[in-house]
Amino acid sequence: MEAQQSLNIHRLYFLIRRHILSNGKSWLIAYGAIAGSLLVLTLFRGYFQPADIGGLTGLYFVVMFIGGYIFTAGIYGELHQPQRSYQYLTLPVSTTERLLSAWIITAFLFPLVAILTMAFIVFIGNLVLNFTLDITPFAGVFSSGSWASLKVYWVTQSIFLLGAAYFRGYNFLKTVLALFVVSVALQIIVGVTGWLMFGTPGTQVAFGTGQMTQQLEDFFLQIFPSVVRIMFYYLFVPFFLITTWFSLKERQV
Amino acid sequence: MVTLKQIGFGYTKRQRLFDQLNLELEPGKIYGLLGRNGAGKTTLLKIVAGLVFPRTGESTVFGYDSQKRFPACLEDICLIPEEYQVPAIRIDSYISLNAPFYQRFDQEKLDWLMNEFQLERSQKLHQLSYGQKKKFLLAFGLSTSARLLLMDEPTNGLDIPSKSQFRRVIAASLSSEQSVLISTHQVRDLEALIDPIIIIDEGQIIFNRGLQEISAALRFETLPEIKENMQPIYYEEALGGYPAIVPNTQGKQSRLDMELLFNGVIANRKGINESFNA
Repeated sequence: MEAQQSLNIHRLYFLIRRHILSNGKSWLIAYGAIAGSLLVLTLFRGYFQPADIGGLTGLYFVVMFIGGYIFTAGIYGELHQPQRSYQYLTLPVSTTERLLSAWIITAFLFPLVAILTMAFIVFIGNLVLNFTLDITPFAGVFSSGSWASLKVYWVTQSIFLLGAAYFRGYNFLKTVLALFVVSVALQIIVGVTGWLMFGTPGTQVAFGTGQMTQQLEDFFLQIFPSVVRIMFYYLFVPFFLITTWFSLKERQV
Repeated sequence: MVTLKQIGFGYTKRQRLFDQLNLELEPGKIYGLLGRNGAGKTTLLKIVAGLVFPRTGESTVFGYDSQKRFPACLEDICLIPEEYQVPAIRIDSYISLNAPFYQRFDQEKLDWLMNEFQLERSQKLHQLSYGQKKKFLLAFGLSTSARLLLMDEPTNGLDIPSKSQFRRVIAASLSSEQSVLISTHQVRDLEALIDPIIIIDEGQIIFNRGLQEISAALRFETLPEIKENMQPIYYEEALGGYPAIVPNTQGKQSRLDMELLFNGVIANRKGINESFNA
């Protein structure tokens, strides 16, 4: 019974549908404005460099990242409006469904639409400027570099999902501020730890100079990066999703 | 059906709104929740709906801990708040987006209620007047077939014909399984509807009795003067006499004046409650 209370595929579908259709108009306006601007930019650049239509792929991904973070941070908008939050919180769905619906939309549907839009912009650019249906410029959009970017997006957007559930209003800015504070705190901890380990401030420590033991060098050069990589790609998302779940569960009006 | 046990709550740790509050609601009744401004009527509704969590005690609705907001429990709760904002969509879109979450949603009842309230499915929700929005939310809420309806000041913003329409609709559309908890200041609007009456004051439920019980124990009358030997439990000075509450020692029937009863309970809680034990 508990499992049934937690996740029901039909309810999840209806919740995703509710999210999309009740916000569809404003999302569509934002999407149109951004996609339109990128298309104009692509055509403008392509006019001078018609052979390099797909050259703006990097910019597309930057826009996708920033847009995705803002979009994710606003996904629980209904929850932060005092006169609407009661509707969302009394809707017969579980906390898991509230979490999954928002995650599916922001982590999967958003990048899917973004990448298809990028491909479409490149396609239109190529068609208009080169009068060809050549699909070679698509390669930039679907390259391995793009896949790597997507993986980074999946990890980092989960932080903004937590910010969307945790903060009440100005979720994007508050999340960015929180990230800044955490990064400063981490830098201080690393600095203090380094000072405690290696001596006075300003001391420079280089690898392979014998200033560190081989064991410590191995730790910094091999073990530490592997651990960080594993943590980043495999632990961050579950950690932030679980934290978001608790944040939603404990949410009151 | 609804059980609040030893509820302690405060928006801040220092200011306690409820302290050891107990309440039990049974099916088939329309409870009137009365109280002064800031007594915690709206907060009590929110606790029952699982929108705020008590600091101490427990709130169970149909056997579920309301704080856990289980879908099966939420499906049986419909909250119509006093202040709300509706999405900028058409009525039919709102219905198609929200009705699927309620397995027992009654489309025929919704059509009947929409017809009663003269609402069209093609109308845009955000363009409706405050009263029309309230009517729509009421129609939608009643159509969910939820067994517990929580209403916060439901007659606020309704015009005079709509108030009687509201009473008629509520009385006609409730089943014996359903209960309503109405928080209100407009006691005159709902006098003919609510039974029992719950009065909340100073963090406690200080009065919780049915109309029959009240009529058997108390008599409401306007006295031409107050004599020393009369000793009414409570009286007010008014034009043309003294509306008073006196013990109903002779078993006479009188028309219950809810406003007078509320004022009497607030002013002389002990005296009123003692009349029920006599």
